[in-house]
Amino acid sequence: MKHSLIKIDDELCTGCRRCAAVCPVDAIEGKQGQPQMIHSDKCVMCGQCVQICSGYASLFEEYETPRDQKMRERHMPPAVNEPLFAAYHTGDYPKVKAVLDNQNAYTMVQCAPAVRVAIAEEFGLPLGSLVPGKLAAALRRVGFSRVYDTNFAADLTIMEEGAELVQRLTKGGTLPMFTSCCPAWVTFIETRYPELVKHLSSCKSPQQMAGTMFKTYGAQLDGVTADQVYSVAVMPCTCKKFEAERPEMNSSGYQDVDAVLTTRELAYLIKEAGIDFHSLPEESFDNPLGIYSGAGTIFGVTGGVMEAAIRTAYEMITSKKLDNIELIQVRGSQGRRQIVLDLGTMKLKTVVVSGLKHAVPILENLKKGIADFHFMEVMTCPAGCVSGGGQPKMLLPVDCLASHQRRTASTYQHDAELLVRKSHDNPAIKAIYQEFLGEPLGHKSHKLLHTHYHVSHPDH
Amino acid sequence: MKNDLNAFVAADPSKCIGCRVCEIACAVAHLDKTVKTVGSLNAPLLPRLYLVKTPETTMPVQCRHCEDAPCVKSCPVSAINRRDNKIMMAEQRCIGCKSCLLACPFGAIELIAVCPDDRSRDYNVVASKCDLCSGKLNGPACVAACPSQALRYVNIAEERKCRQLHAATKAGNFIKEFRAREG
Repeated sequence: MKHSLIKIDDELCTGCRRCAAVCPVDAIEGKQGQPQMIHSDKCVMCGQCVQICSGYASLFEEYETPRDQKMRERHMPPAVNEPLFAAYHTGDYPKVKAVLDNQNAYTMVQCAPAVRVAIAEEFGLPLGSLVPGKLAAALRRVGFSRVYDTNFAADLTIMEEGAELVQRLTKGGTLPMFTSCCPAWVTFIETRYPELVKHLSSCKSPQQMAGTMFKTYGAQLDGVTADQVYSVAVMPCTCKKFEAERPEMNSSGYQDVDAVLTTRELAYLIKEAGIDFHSLPEESFDNPLGIYSGAGTIFGVTGGVMEAAIRTAYEMITSKKLDNIELIQVRGSQGRRQIVLDLGTMKLKTVVVSGLKHAVPILENLKKGIADFHFMEVMTCPAGCVSGGGQPKMLLPVDCLASHQRRTASTYQHDAELLVRKSHDNPAIKAIYQEFLGEPLGHKSHKLLHTHYHVSHPDH
Repeated sequence: MKNDLNAFVAADPSKCIGCRVCEIACAVAHLDKTVKTVGSLNAPLLPRLYLVKTPETTMPVQCRHCEDAPCVKSCPVSAINRRDNKIMMAEQRCIGCKSCLLACPFGAIELIAVCPDDRSRDYNVVASKCDLCSGKLNGPACVAACPSQALRYVNIAEERKCRQLHAATKAGNFIKEFRAREG
């Protein structure tokens, strides 16, 4: 899968090399003016090349491969009218469509936080429109049996990752600890800095935690078995497709997430079903695996995991209430931000990085033994998941920054409007620990929600 | 000659990287409604400038808004006219005869299918070419969109002035140097 996820169509590529300039891992090779190649061993599948590419199939030119064949190769539905670009990702659209068409399938869907601030753009609404209610309604109408939410699992991630950080700080363990939510970042560490793998949190990403919970707790609630559940994730990210297929992601006994749709692929599905997105009512996600806090929703932006983690870790460590929960210091668009948090007994030093290239000097220092922080969040994409490779693609580069800013602003607005804003205050999270998981880092959560990242070799 | 020559957009092939953003910007600027994302575009992209790639050079080619425009002269129905220092195509008058396409030495004219309204299945084939984003506040969209500043809106009067100044400065400096050397 890794070798074929992100591709460049050599009939359409003009060799402008803007994709090579945006690639954080120098995986795109080729001469100026010639079609480019993706070096699959280096590629972390972030899809930023897909976002920047403007080499499109012109109506005024003839290509050897006809449009309908190109669309089949890209796993796009035939009714889509949009132009085709040279850099693209293959998708899970046909797989999901076939399952939804099967009346007997029992499907559960989760939706990442960054999708609700972007999907409306595919239907002509203003950049960054916040539409969680319409999104839930659309997912129900395209035929999913249970409309759950990755945001719930983001809250769950904070419980586990917060507890893991506290454990590493108080009882000893590898420090600094790195976040492990971003699969492109995890892949990067595994392939380029294998000696630093132990710094990664053992927590699975919210997508994988949600998938596991659907096929265990969710299945149990609905009186079905794990093998009956088909679990779909809607993600702003292209690398999430790779993550879902990793062999270790099967804690439920089956592949925890069966298919991943990008935000753009979900838009295809909605259009194909003939749904008028504009007139959809506001609905809510299903209980209990669709209930979330503001902390869960800010996972979609750079600094969000850190802010969410601090909201919980502060209260875990100090047993005091954190009053000022909007941590403006970790927000922003710089590639690297640092804050020091006074926890009474200690000062917690944290780093937030967006854009993989900004992580490299920090990792190099760490290898030399120079690290003056305890916890680092890294997101591969420039503004975090809101700017992911699977998000709506801007026709013009000039709109990219505006789209990132508006999606980010809507994410924080959503957090501010929610009544519960800390993961540990989410009533569904409290319930799942009481009824099913026990405690964070307990036996069951360790088995279901944690993993071991390993050193991967390109040849294996 | 007065300073009322037609303006045009020119590309610098030494700067052009061939990314086609100019084509997309042009097509988007000529849509009836504002479209920001690829997914919300429910129509083909119909640019009015065309990226040309040869083994030696890469650059977009578009209408030069010729002073003695062959397209104007060739049009049997007077659908092409000079207006506000531009050569403008009145698409509603065009009969799609392709005379202008043959006459244009730059290949800057395309024939495109245009639907009279959204619901209609009928379409007319009409000539289409650069209108310098007439009526747009920020000038030609291609110039604004180019990531490598390879496109330039050429204002003839300013261009001439600029070149004359450059030539005079260069000649002046040369003469000064020459005199100094000669003692």
